[in-house]
Amino acid sequence: MEERKLTEKESLEVITSMIARTKVRYLGNGKILSMWGYLVVFVALLVWILLASTRQNVWNWLWFAIPVVGFPVTMIMARQEHHEKGAVTYSDRITSRLWTIFGISEIVLTLVCLGFAIFGDVNCWAAMLVYSIVLAPATEIAQGLIINEKSLIVGGAVGLAVGLVTLCCVVGGIPLVAVWYMPLFILAFVSMMIVPGHILTYKAKKQ
Amino acid sequence: MKELNPLLHSQLRLAIMSILMNVAEADFVYLKEKTESTAGNLSVQLDKLSSAGYISVEKGMSGRRPRTACSITPEGRMAFEEYVEALRTYLNL
Repeated sequence: MEERKLTEKESLEVITSMIARTKVRYLGNGKILSMWGYLVVFVALLVWILLASTRQNVWNWLWFAIPVVGFPVTMIMARQEHHEKGAVTYSDRITSRLWTIFGISEIVLTLVCLGFAIFGDVNCWAAMLVYSIVLAPATEIAQGLIINEKSLIVGGAVGLAVGLVTLCCVVGGIPLVAVWYMPLFILAFVSMMIVPGHILTYKAKKQ
Repeated sequence: MKELNPLLHSQLRLAIMSILMNVAEADFVYLKEKTESTAGNLSVQLDKLSSAGYISVEKGMSGRRPRTACSITPEGRMAFEEYVEALRTYLNL
């Protein structure tokens, strides 16, 4: 393309041509979503196995490995993805902000729960579990609606269903026994992160 | 009839503005690829649009690589909309 004056008709052609070139439905790369899914499932399995074999609650501290590993890796992967793509669409910006709000609120809630445990000797970690498994799928459904991607909506709906069951159990005082709850928890994260993550990555490659 | 904005009434500058109307932010390499222009020419036109306050250009680093990110400003958006409106009257659309 050169720097030259245009006729009115050519102007219109330039505008429509540029809109067409940028009007690709950017799904984003699903690698970050898959990474979180694998990380959560791996830690859940590890904690489950260690709790079952040793009967020591100290292994529950391993849950902290999820944010400690997940957040820095996300930042590195997001930067790389941004560089590969070269442009940020408005839907990218909105979904990125939605997940940032979720991430920040998770960090704040972790600190609040930690404060309750240290200063009040109160165990409120269940709040963290409920919050994560309700809000993460809700955020994912919102992302799916914004970019019009069914796998995120369906996966998020499965996760949200598990989240609402968890919420009712916690509020109703039903103990979340590992034997039935852990498979449900893992199923939720496989459905809402690993499967849609791979679908998005596949579609992004095809694009 | 309203005169067409001379700053926008040129092929490459109009192409840049059309792209930036469509995305929140685009880097130099992306613009170069989409407009099929040369780096030198693109750089000159970006400077002109930036001087007019139509776009904002942020130079930074992405990892170890330099990165120039461009986005449209509210003034640029308004100028583009006025340009399109004037174009419609010229073409009787």
